[in-house]
Amino acid sequence: MNDRPAADGADDRPAADGRGVGEFVTAWATALHRAHYVPISAEQRHRIVTGLADRVVTAVLAGPGGPGEGRRIGADLVAAGFGSPEALGGTIAVLTSRLLGDLGVAADPTRTARLNDLLAELATGFTSAAHDHSLRAQDTVRLAALAARTQAEEALRVSEVRFRRFATHDQLTGLPNLTLLTEQLGRLSTAEAPTDRVGVCCLDVDDFAAVNDVLGYQVGDLLLREIAARLGALADGRFDLVARLDSDRFAILVRDTTCAGDVVKIADRALAVLAAPFRVNGTEVPLTVSAGVAEGTVADGGAARLMRAGEIALHWAKADGKATLRLFDQDRSNADAERYRLSAAMPAALRRGEFTAAYQPVTALRSGRLAGVEALARWRHPQLGLLSAARFIELAERTGLVVALGSQLLEQACRQASRWQRIQPGLYVSVNVSVRQLHRTGLAGEVAQILDRTGLPPHLLHLEITEQAVIDLTGVVTQTLAALMQLGVRIVIDDFGVGYANLANLRSLPLYGLKLDASLTRPSAQPARWPGARRPGTDDDFLGTVVSLGHRLGLVVTAEGIETAQQAHRLTAAGCDNGQGWHFGRPVPPDEITAGIVAQQHREAVPPGPELPVIPVQRR
Amino acid sequence: MERPEWAPADVDLSRPSVARAYDYWLGGSHNFEVDREFARQALAAVPDLRLVARANREFLHRAVRFMLDEGIRQFLDIGSGIPTVGNVHEIAQQVDPHSRVAYVDIDPVAVTHSTHILAGQPNAVALLEDLRHPEAILDHPEVRRLLDLDRPVGLLLVSVVHAVPDHDDPYGLIRRLWTALAPGSCVAISHVTTDSRPDEMGEGARLSGRTNTPVTARTRAQVEDFFTGLDLVEPGVVWSPLWRPESEADVGEHPERMSFYVGVGRRR
Repeated sequence: MNDRPAADGADDRPAADGRGVGEFVTAWATALHRAHYVPISAEQRHRIVTGLADRVVTAVLAGPGGPGEGRRIGADLVAAGFGSPEALGGTIAVLTSRLLGDLGVAADPTRTARLNDLLAELATGFTSAAHDHSLRAQDTVRLAALAARTQAEEALRVSEVRFRRFATHDQLTGLPNLTLLTEQLGRLSTAEAPTDRVGVCCLDVDDFAAVNDVLGYQVGDLLLREIAARLGALADGRFDLVARLDSDRFAILVRDTTCAGDVVKIADRALAVLAAPFRVNGTEVPLTVSAGVAEGTVADGGAARLMRAGEIALHWAKADGKATLRLFDQDRSNADAERYRLSAAMPAALRRGEFTAAYQPVTALRSGRLAGVEALARWRHPQLGLLSAARFIELAERTGLVVALGSQLLEQACRQASRWQRIQPGLYVSVNVSVRQLHRTGLAGEVAQILDRTGLPPHLLHLEITEQAVIDLTGVVTQTLAALMQLGVRIVIDDFGVGYANLANLRSLPLYGLKLDASLTRPSAQPARWPGARRPGTDDDFLGTVVSLGHRLGLVVTAEGIETAQQAHRLTAAGCDNGQGWHFGRPVPPDEITAGIVAQQHREAVPPGPELPVIPVQRR
Repeated sequence: MERPEWAPADVDLSRPSVARAYDYWLGGSHNFEVDREFARQALAAVPDLRLVARANREFLHRAVRFMLDEGIRQFLDIGSGIPTVGNVHEIAQQVDPHSRVAYVDIDPVAVTHSTHILAGQPNAVALLEDLRHPEAILDHPEVRRLLDLDRPVGLLLVSVVHAVPDHDDPYGLIRRLWTALAPGSCVAISHVTTDSRPDEMGEGARLSGRTNTPVTARTRAQVEDFFTGLDLVEPGVVWSPLWRPESEADVGEHPERMSFYVGVGRRR
C-alpha cells in the first residue's frame, strides 16, 4: 500500500485548526459509509479516512508531495474497499463543498487550482484502480469457473468410469461381463476395424449346479472366483478379453486369428489350467469344464453369429459327454438345425396326416411267394418330399411323438393288411414297435382295438421289437408282450445279431421269429480267417449257426437286406425261411403291393406262356 | 429432479447464479454477464436491492462478532457464496488468528473461487455441498479436520434457508445441523420475506426461479419456527438492520424495507 509519508506540512497549513480537519474527516467518512459498505468498525473507518484526509490537506495547502499523489489517494480509497461509484461521487462532493471551509482557509486561486487538480487526479486514480480491481476480479472468477468446470468434468468422468465399470464388469469375479464382450465383438465387426478374423471360446463348468446344491453358494462363489482368476491369468496381448457371461459360463475372445487352430490352442490351455484341482477350505472339489470354440470373420455382423457358434459348439461338447472341447462345424450345425426343424414340424404333420406307410415285400425263400409285408413309416413332407424313417424316427423317439406316430401307422398297416386278405389270405404285416411304445401300459389294449376295428386276424400282425427293447424286461414290457401274445399277435426280434442279445430274456419270451440284420446277410468286410484261429469260421458258418439257433428254438427266421440273387440263394441254402430286400422289392405304396399280388396270382393261375398284360400301377 | 449423491455438480455458466448476482449487488466484479443481467432485472423489481443485500451482509458481520464475543472460535458458514471483502475468517481472525472457518456452498464456481482465495490459509476451507445433505456436511473429512464438534460452533445460515423449498423439509434439515453441535453453539439465520413489500419482493422471488436456487419467502412466524429448540438471542427475529445495530444511523428510517428477517439462537 502507498503509505507515503505525509508532506512536511511546515508551510501554510492552519496550525491550530485540528477541529476543522476533524469535521471534514467525519463528513467524508459518513459519505463513504453511506455510499459503500465495508465491514470495518467506525473507528477503523475513521482512522483510514483521517490518513487520506491528511494527504489531501497537505496536497491542497502545501502543494502535492510529488507527482501522482492525487492518483495514489484515489487508488488507496479503492484499496481500502471504498471502490463503488457512489464512494467516488461522495468523495468529490465532500472535497469540493467542505474541504476549504472546514479548514477555515480562503479559497484563493492557488488552492482552488490545487484542489481541482487533485480532484481530477483522484478521480483518475480511483477509476483506474477500480477498473484494475474489476479486471482482477473478473480474472479470478473466470479462473474459478474454469477450475470448477474442469473439476466437474473430472468428477463426471470418474463417476462415469465407475458407472461404466459397474455396467460392464461382473461384480463377483471382476471380469468383464457379457455386455462388454458383446460390445467388443460388435466393435471388431464394424467396417473400420482392422481385425477381420476373431475367435471365441465359450466355457461352462460341468454340473456346477451340483456344487452349489451340495456345497452351498459360498463355496460356489469361491470356485467361480478361482476359475476367473485362472482364466484371467491366461490372458496375454492377443486376448481381447476373458469374460464371465453368467453363473458358470465364461468366454475368451481372441483377436487376429488366422485359423480355428489358434483358438483351439487357447481353449486347450484354458481347459488345462482348469483341470488342476480346485481347493476350497482345504477340500478338493473335482470339476470339469466343457468348451465350445468358433472362429471366423466378423465383418458385417459376423460377431453375433460367431458368438452363437461358440455357444452351439459348447452345447455339443456337453452333449458329447462333457469335459471336452468341440469346434464349431457348419455342417453339423446345419444338420442340427435341419433336425430341429423336422422335429418341430412333426406334431403338425402328424395332425395333417403327412405320415404314411410304405410296404416292403417279405418273400418265402423256398416257394418264392409273397409271405408278408413290412410296414415302414414315411413322411410326405410338403417341402422336402418323401422322407424315409431314418430321417425322423430317432427324432420322434426323442420327443416321444413316436408313440402317437406308431399308433397311427399301426392302424394304417392293419387296415391295409386286412384289405389284402381278400386277394391273398394269410398275408401278414410286420410293424415296428419302439421302445417307448413298449414301455407304455395300454399298448396291448390299443392293438386289440385296432385289430377289432380293422378286422385283421391277430396272427397276421407281426410286431418287430429290437433286442435293445427287451434287454431290460421290466414289469410293463413283460406284461405287454404276454398280453400281445395272448391276443395272438406274433412277436419278432428285429435286427438280430448286431445288438446285445440277452439270451436269457429271449428264452423267456413268447417269440415267433427272428429277423437277421442285413449285416449278417452280406459278406463280412474282414477276412474270416485270422492267424492263430483254431477253427476257421466262414460267413456261411455264422449264418448257418444263427439260422439253426432260431430253428432249434422254434422260431421263424427272416433275413433282411437281400440285394442280389446270389445272396438270396445263399440264404435259402442256409435254411432261412423268409427273405426281404431290394432283390425282392423295395418299400412301395400299398397299390404296388396289390398289383404285385395280382400279378403273382396270374402267374400261378396261368401256366407258363405268353406274357400277361401289365396291370397299371396306381399311385396316390 | 435432484441429482444423485454420486453425480458431480453441474457447472452451467449459461444460468445465472444467485451467489454471483449477490456479489454484483454488493458492488463486486466476480460475476458474469448472465448473472448481471439477472441482477439488473431484480434491481428493476426492487430498486434498493443493493441496500437489502448490504444490510444482510452487515448482519452477518454483526452476528459473527457477537459469536466471537461469546467465545466461539470456529464457524460453519453454509451458503457462503462468492467471497468478497470481509469474509468470516478475516473478521474472526482479526479477533483470534486461530479461528477456524469452513465455508460450504452449492455453487461450484463460488467454491473454487473461495478455495483460490483461501490458498495458504490453513484455518479455512471451502467445500462443495448442499444444505439439504446435513450429514454429508457434518461428516465431511475437511469439516471434521477443521472443526471440533465437541466445542461450540458458530453455524451461519445467512441468506440460504430460503433456497430450500418446503418439500425438502428445511426445518428438519436445520434441526439436524444444530443438534450435531455442542451446547453453546450459535445459529444465525437470515431469511427473505415478502411480508413488508409483497409486490416488489414477490417479483424478486419469482425472478429467482431462473437461477439454480429459487427463493421460498417465509413469514416472520415461519422464520421464528427455525429457532424452535434454541434459545433465541435478544432481540429475537427482527428486520435485518434492527439486530444489534452498532449505531442509530445504521438502522435507517425503514428497516422493514430490507425484507430480511434475521435472528441468532443459542444451543442449550
